Amino acid sequence: MKRLSIPFILLLIYGCREKLPVVDDFKNSNYKLINQNNQEVIFPDFVKGKLVVMNYIFTNCPDICPLSTNNMRLIQEQLKKEKIDNVQFVSLSFDPEFDSPEVLRKFAGIRNLDLSNWTFLTGDKSTTDSVIKKVGVLAVPNDSTIFKNGRKIYYYIHTDRIQLIDPEGRIRKNYKGSTINVNEIIADIKSLQ
Amino acid sequence: MKRRLLIMVALIFMLNTIIFAQQPKTQNSKLKIQNAWVRPAAKGANSALYFVIENNSIKTDTLIGAESKIAEEVEVHESFKKDNDRMGMRPAGKLAINPKSEFEFKPGGFHIMLLGVTKDLKIGDKIEVVLLFKNKGKIKIKAEVSDMPITKKMKQ
Repeated sequence: MKRLSIPFILLLIYGCREKLPVVDDFKNSNYKLINQNNQEVIFPDFVKGKLVVMNYIFTNCPDICPLSTNNMRLIQEQLKKEKIDNVQFVSLSFDPEFDSPEVLRKFAGIRNLDLSNWTFLTGDKSTTDSVIKKVGVLAVPNDSTIFKNGRKIYYYIHTDRIQLIDPEGRIRKNYKGSTINVNEIIADIKSLQ
Repeated sequence: MKRRLLIMVALIFMLNTIIFAQQPKTQNSKLKIQNAWVRPAAKGANSALYFVIENNSIKTDTLIGAESKIAEEVEVHESFKKDNDRMGMRPAGKLAINPKSEFEFKPGGFHIMLLGVTKDLKIGDKIEVVLLFKNKGKIKIKAEVSDMPITKKMKQ
């Protein structure tokens, strides 16, 4: 009986520690991307050693992506209040042909976002496509609007996601970006610290 | 002479009616627009306008569109759920507002899409948009730029 109970207790302890199982791993994956300041960064290398809260957006989206981005801001503010640091925020555009570094900088600037620990990323379409494929985010152009001057913009059907990545570059949990429970992700962040 | 005078009076009355019909109406007691707010956007980007329509009348009215100088194009849109965790957006067309009911334009649902805003919409700024109803005609509303819903009832 004793022999049986020891492995069971160890399994229980291990199970409690692994509250957030590994969903996927960025191990051996590095992507050359551009930040909002037009600087080249290697993702996820540049955030290694930090917990990462990441969302996937396109700036022509007026509703869901601003909702998700605002939720990222609320998480960031709550972490500041609780004096929890070593967390990096990342927003990756899956519409890099429109979302230049300048467009991303303005998107963040008009919302007064604190970019001290928040990076917006864009890059080659093939590279951003590789990242979203790796993390299981889908983004497919759907409807569009043609302006009077002929300019055309697309609206994507896309995965509405905020993701928690641990300091080793492992994805630990996916949340619905537009409706995320801020207290839930704060608790998850604490459990990984 | 008398006939000419009558025709003149009739013409003036008709002209007044036409001009009055084209003027955006301010709030009236039967159809109210409450809690209007709009998301921040840099010049040239897109934004979304949200509000609540209160139809206190006994007749259905229909929102047929919107217009504003603040954007290159103004469209009525709807965010929709594609499946478990995917979202999309599409034009919403005309929207019937049932009698004695409220219709909410809210994040993740119906919104007025402002495409290519003509100036920066900074938090705290106010913009004007005209909503076009089938029966009531034009209703001009003011909306505050905010990254959160405006809950207090704003005077229009």
